[in-house]
Amino acid sequence: MTQDVEMKEQPAPSNSVPSNVPSTLHHLKEIAAIVETGAYTKEVRRINRAVRLTLALRKKLKTSVVSSFLNYALASGSEALIRLLSYLPKEDDHDMEVDTAISATHTPAKHSPELEIYAYLLVLIFLIDQKKYPEAKACGKAGIARSRNMNKRTIDVLASRLYHFYSYCYEMTGDLVEIRGDLLNLHRIVTLRRDELGQETLLNLLLRNYLHYNLYDQAEKLRSKAPRFEAHSNQQAIPFCRYLFYLGKIRTIQLEYTDAKDSLLQAARKAPVGALGFRVQCNKWAIIVRLLLGEIPERTVFMQKGMKTVLRPYFELTNAVRIGDLELFRNVADKFASTFSADRTHNLIVRLRHNVIRTGVRNISISYSRISLVDVAHKLRLDSPNPVADAESIVAKAIRDGAIDATLDHANGWMVSKETGDVYSTNEPQSAFNSRIAFCLNMHNEAVRALRFPPNSHKKEKESAEKRRERQQQEQELAKHIAEEDDDEF
Amino acid sequence: MDPKLTEVVQSFERFKAALVRNDLETSNNLLSQLKVMLTGFRSLPPLLEETPNSVQELTIARDIYERAVVLSVKAEDQDAFERDFFQLKPYYVDTAGRLPPSAQEYPILGLNLLRLLVQNRIAEFHTELEILSPGAMENLCIKHAVELEQSFMEGAYNRVLSARKTVPHETYVYFMDLLAKTVRDEIAGCSEKAYDYLSLADAKQMLMLSSDKELSAYVTEERPDWEIKNGVVYFQKAKESAPCKEIPSMPLINQTLSYARELERII
Repeated sequence: MTQDVEMKEQPAPSNSVPSNVPSTLHHLKEIAAIVETGAYTKEVRRINRAVRLTLALRKKLKTSVVSSFLNYALASGSEALIRLLSYLPKEDDHDMEVDTAISATHTPAKHSPELEIYAYLLVLIFLIDQKKYPEAKACGKAGIARSRNMNKRTIDVLASRLYHFYSYCYEMTGDLVEIRGDLLNLHRIVTLRRDELGQETLLNLLLRNYLHYNLYDQAEKLRSKAPRFEAHSNQQAIPFCRYLFYLGKIRTIQLEYTDAKDSLLQAARKAPVGALGFRVQCNKWAIIVRLLLGEIPERTVFMQKGMKTVLRPYFELTNAVRIGDLELFRNVADKFASTFSADRTHNLIVRLRHNVIRTGVRNISISYSRISLVDVAHKLRLDSPNPVADAESIVAKAIRDGAIDATLDHANGWMVSKETGDVYSTNEPQSAFNSRIAFCLNMHNEAVRALRFPPNSHKKEKESAEKRRERQQQEQELAKHIAEEDDDEF
Repeated sequence: MDPKLTEVVQSFERFKAALVRNDLETSNNLLSQLKVMLTGFRSLPPLLEETPNSVQELTIARDIYERAVVLSVKAEDQDAFERDFFQLKPYYVDTAGRLPPSAQEYPILGLNLLRLLVQNRIAEFHTELEILSPGAMENLCIKHAVELEQSFMEGAYNRVLSARKTVPHETYVYFMDLLAKTVRDEIAGCSEKAYDYLSLADAKQMLMLSSDKELSAYVTEERPDWEIKNGVVYFQKAKESAPCKEIPSMPLINQTLSYARELERII
């Protein structure tokens, strides 16, 4: 490969190389230094920072940069270096020549295991961004196999990101099912090592894996058996958020609507503001669950910033349920059928039909003191061969379930609504009061818990101003990251 | 061909013959033998190893378990049905790429949905439903079960009953009969809340009982608090006991104590 060829192939980059490449490469070298210090001082925080900085650099990565970084960071002739270089695309090999010359002087005698895993992670991210999924899969596999043999806390952070991207590239190619066994094995290993971050990441990945194939049964079995975790710190807030979302989905399918609503609303509230895609998903599911519970979500839910258009189908659906108009409901369901099946909420929408009828019956019962069943059937717009008989049994069931207070007169074929009694003579106010108090107390307890310091934090030094700034920045970056990902995925 | 496989094929033929003759005892014995034999193959779940005969072995194992499900329906044994179905399920889910789909798949899946409905395991019913592809939902057998569930939830019971006449498969009749009984109990429960009284003829028709005798037998057996007088069924007695005005003291005490505890914690 001569200089001429290079010039012909890529005239523009070769001009910008002097200005661009060194800066990115320089950044990467700095990150490598952070990783090394982190490994040396055994500080997980530093490794976290390195991962974050790398994610920020994602867009600027180029084959030449990555390969020269590898040559710089990894011991020359080491197995990892040869393997990683083989994953990189070949076309701009020429840049390497230049850089190998530089790196020859820098090459450390032996790289730390952290740096090696970091190199795997970097290459994996790069390959995913380049959409080279087969190589990415191979790289991820090799990296995980390597990290598996290392039992160090500083590696856990890198490994958990590795798992995440590994699973991501299988998701992109649509064969998540292949790695389910691997993930389960890894989950067992990290559980034995008490690697909390790894456990959370892998549990989420497994749940995602199962839910991708709608295997709610298996997902629930795994979730209920796996060690539980709570959000201790900001680091864990995002995995916990995802976990809540998956939990909410499982519970919705299993008809535990009240619990599902709690999880979904909590997930939506805890999600970082930047993670729009994720929040939209949470809101969609939360809306349906609330409708299934017989609640009507407030208009503000649909008017949240950036969600107005995507939530439009759900808004119209809510409207149909609120009015109790079966015809309108059917129209909305047909009109947005493709949206609902893409969101995989179609089966839930089918379940809503029952609620629409309920609301319709309730409206009729409130408006009329006596109405013939023929009219009820007509108003409900039941499309069945024998609407009157259907209306009669539907109303009978509504009466039994306590949705309306009325009696039926079979001989005359009409429904007689009872006078609405004084609600204050019942236990209703008491239970409403109770549920509100319970909500307030729960909120207070949650708030107190959130103020509590994470376990063992008193041993560490206090947060300095610089660290606080760093932490805030880190949160923002994470939020941005999760947002990008969810946009990709959903 | 592998001698072990040949043996399985032979006993399977005998099992099929016994099943066609409706000789339940012989088929049960043969089935237990077959299941033991199947454990010898390494290509079947959960190992799912690739062996030269794996496709043949998987196919025959799937056939055996499908027949086993049918057998359990004939024997009217719901527990056996559940066991056999779970043994069969991996063949539909995990080997989907390796075997041609079975003609029996949808009828059996539909049957399982129906069983969950009869046993009132609605959560599992919906979980199973989520696994099915949109194409599968169009299938007559699945659709039948799905529509039944909807009518059941809505309370359109006569639609449930008329569905019995349109069963897509002969094995469905057993579960539909069970479902009819559940529906009758539901209707009785709704009626006693919704009506003050019903004439005997109407009650008979609603509860799908053919004679007055059956009705009075049903009332004495299942609903002793109903009263039959002058050709009219009165539900009054059940109704009067329903609205009770007493103060729910225990829950109230519990609630108040919990408030006190929480308040103390805050202070």
